[in-house]
Amino acid sequence: MGFFKNLCNKAFPKSLWVYHTNTGACNGCDIEVIDVLTPYYDVERFGIKLVGSPRHADVLLVCGPVTRQIVPALKRLYEAVPAPKLVIAIGSCASGGGIWFDSYNIVGGADTILPVDYYIPGCPPRPEAILHGVAVALGLAEKKVAREHIKQLIDRNESISVEDDTGAEEVVPGDEVPAELPTSK
Amino acid sequence: MTAQSFGDSLKNKFGDKLLEVEAAGVDQLYVRIVPECLVEVADYLYNDEGCRFVINSGTDRREHNGKFLITHFFAQDEENLYIAVHAEVDGNDPRIDSITPVVPAANWSEREARDMVGVAPEGHPDPRRLVLADDWPEDLYPLRTDVEHGIKPESCPDVAMPLVEPPEGASVVPIGPYFPVLEEPAYFRIFVEGETVVGADYRGFYNHRGVEKLGCSVLTYNQIPFMAERICGICGFVHSCSYCQAVERAAGIEVPERAEYVRTIMLEVERVQSHLLWLGIAGHIIGFDTVLMQTWRMREPLMWLCERITGNRKTYGMNLIGGVRRDITADVHGDITDVLAKIEKEWRALYDAIPGDPTLMARLKGTGELPEEKARELAVAGPTARGSGVAIDVRVDHPYAAYDRLDVKKCVYDSCDNVARVLVRLDETLDAIDIIRQALDDMPDGPIMAEIGEEIPAGLEAMSAVEAPRGEVFHWVLTGEENRPERWRVRAPTYANLQAVPTMVTGDALADVPIDVGSFDPCFSCTERMEVTDLKSGIIRVYTQDEVLALRQSK
Ligand code: SF4
Repeated sequence: MGFFKNLCNKAFPKSLWVYHTNTGACNGCDIEVIDVLTPYYDVERFGIKLVGSPRHADVLLVCGPVTRQIVPALKRLYEAVPAPKLVIAIGSCASGGGIWFDSYNIVGGADTILPVDYYIPGCPPRPEAILHGVAVALGLAEKKVAREHIKQLIDRNESISVEDDTGAEEVVPGDEVPAELPTSK
Repeated sequence: MTAQSFGDSLKNKFGDKLLEVEAAGVDQLYVRIVPECLVEVADYLYNDEGCRFVINSGTDRREHNGKFLITHFFAQDEENLYIAVHAEVDGNDPRIDSITPVVPAANWSEREARDMVGVAPEGHPDPRRLVLADDWPEDLYPLRTDVEHGIKPESCPDVAMPLVEPPEGASVVPIGPYFPVLEEPAYFRIFVEGETVVGADYRGFYNHRGVEKLGCSVLTYNQIPFMAERICGICGFVHSCSYCQAVERAAGIEVPERAEYVRTIMLEVERVQSHLLWLGIAGHIIGFDTVLMQTWRMREPLMWLCERITGNRKTYGMNLIGGVRRDITADVHGDITDVLAKIEKEWRALYDAIPGDPTLMARLKGTGELPEEKARELAVAGPTARGSGVAIDVRVDHPYAAYDRLDVKKCVYDSCDNVARVLVRLDETLDAIDIIRQALDDMPDGPIMAEIGEEIPAGLEAMSAVEAPRGEVFHWVLTGEENRPERWRVRAPTYANLQAVPTMVTGDALADVPIDVGSFDPCFSCTERMEVTDLKSGIIRVYTQDEVLALRQSK
């Protein structure tokens, strides 16, 4: 927890600008992402703003399973986001391919192509879940995953093909992560 | 005219060229023809009989009879009739004459059949790849039964799609694949002369997930509705509903009346939700974010209501073969009427405000024109068609679920521009609220699920259509072994509507392209950048997102 908080605070001391991308999603997740920007959830109160160009973004929100056709565009998109950058996978599809995981045209979840820092599962995740995920990224809320899970992320990050200069993949769980955390609430 | 009499008239006309004519009920007709006379039959149906082209489908039946089955679907909306024209082609030499020269709306689907099952449309004016990724191997056809659903061929990174050359003297503006108004990433090449658009080319299918293949190879009948619902995260219920109706019809399963009402109510709730969402996005596209914030604020209580009724905000998971999984019980009726009353009140305020807003009207009026004859030719659907004076609405023309017992209006405008498409949706939302009220009042008591005794036999087929918020959704199911369809064909309305983009944008200013596209089916993937190449001078100018936004908002 502490590590992520420090990382975030250090890298993004001010507001977070996010760029949202659909890599093959059914739109369910995309719509919920927009939903958190609208008056009921109003994520802008945390200083989070949706921007129209990856070049302005700190955070890439990825929705949907990665399709074969989108891979080159997605790689270019990731490179266009200036470092330091965070990637948040939103929805079951982006987290691991979802119900399409073994289809011929699907490469997998977002982490098969990009280093993913946070996962927000759900099909689609509720706006509250997205808010919570972002709050965790900002260090405003406690993380709810166990050490094992973080380790998994690191293992997967080692096989990433896109070069990552954020340092995010070097994340090592700090000692303050308790050994037995509940996997989720 | 019933299916039977239409079949007879076809038989008289074509004689031996029709191998089989079979009417299913009064509203579905299946004919099998000699493949050589496909163009002739299609020409007759489309140009003489005025039938609307729906979609085509390729099925690998080599295991059964060594052939590929190519099926073209037509609709005769005035007569409440769907017609399937089957033609079988040789499994070793899969070729068929292209009908695109006589039926322009068949353009994409013939290309798709080539991509997916490898039946080449001979004489097709634009035989480029459509669905599969650029780096997918040439001779591997995923919908063939001998191809694994999970096959992942090696990538060959250097192939790109062959591009259409712009007209002489025109410049090219590539937009995408990330683009502000489409739900999926899509790549448009807009051809411009100065500010004016003179044509367009399109590369889409970035979101192709292999839905049909998964449905025909790994899932079972009752698992498919959950996948079908995830074809679209905005209006997924229409897909699961349409699929279930097709299987029910093929297998002769009687759905309890109450279940039909539940489906109808959820379909209309989804329509209200989708139109609210769409209006917000249309506002955003033209730089009027207040509309976005207000409509989405109005929409949110409806999402909570859906969660209360179905257990989920969006993917409802209600449909199964034979009925629905949850009832709409009396204790939520009050909630439903309250939420609707509130939306109706606020919607009426919007209704009065929008046509009177000079800025909005300046942006919408006379842009994105799609003349009626073009709309018919390209077989567009839903509000896009009704905004061009084409009075088609599946709920009225081919009633399903409980619509034949309810009073449904067709909302038609004939100014053929973006304003018309906005007005159609404004009307429709109020109409949908009215339909929900009627359905709640009339809903009979009873079971919500049919008893299904035996396994569904193989070799039966049925078509089913549902009016989605964006237009006609069409499903065709051919039942198969192992508790799953042998072939399940899906056509979403955007498939037809997207093909109208070149017509709609031509003659407009570049800055109108986003709202033209957004006027039939919007989303929030965002623009990467635009690159304008002036061919005459060879100078490349790159616009940033902000410049483009400024350009279209300052208009
Ligand atoms: S997780 Fe669910 S809602 Fe999100 S893109 Fe995938 S299927 Fe759609």
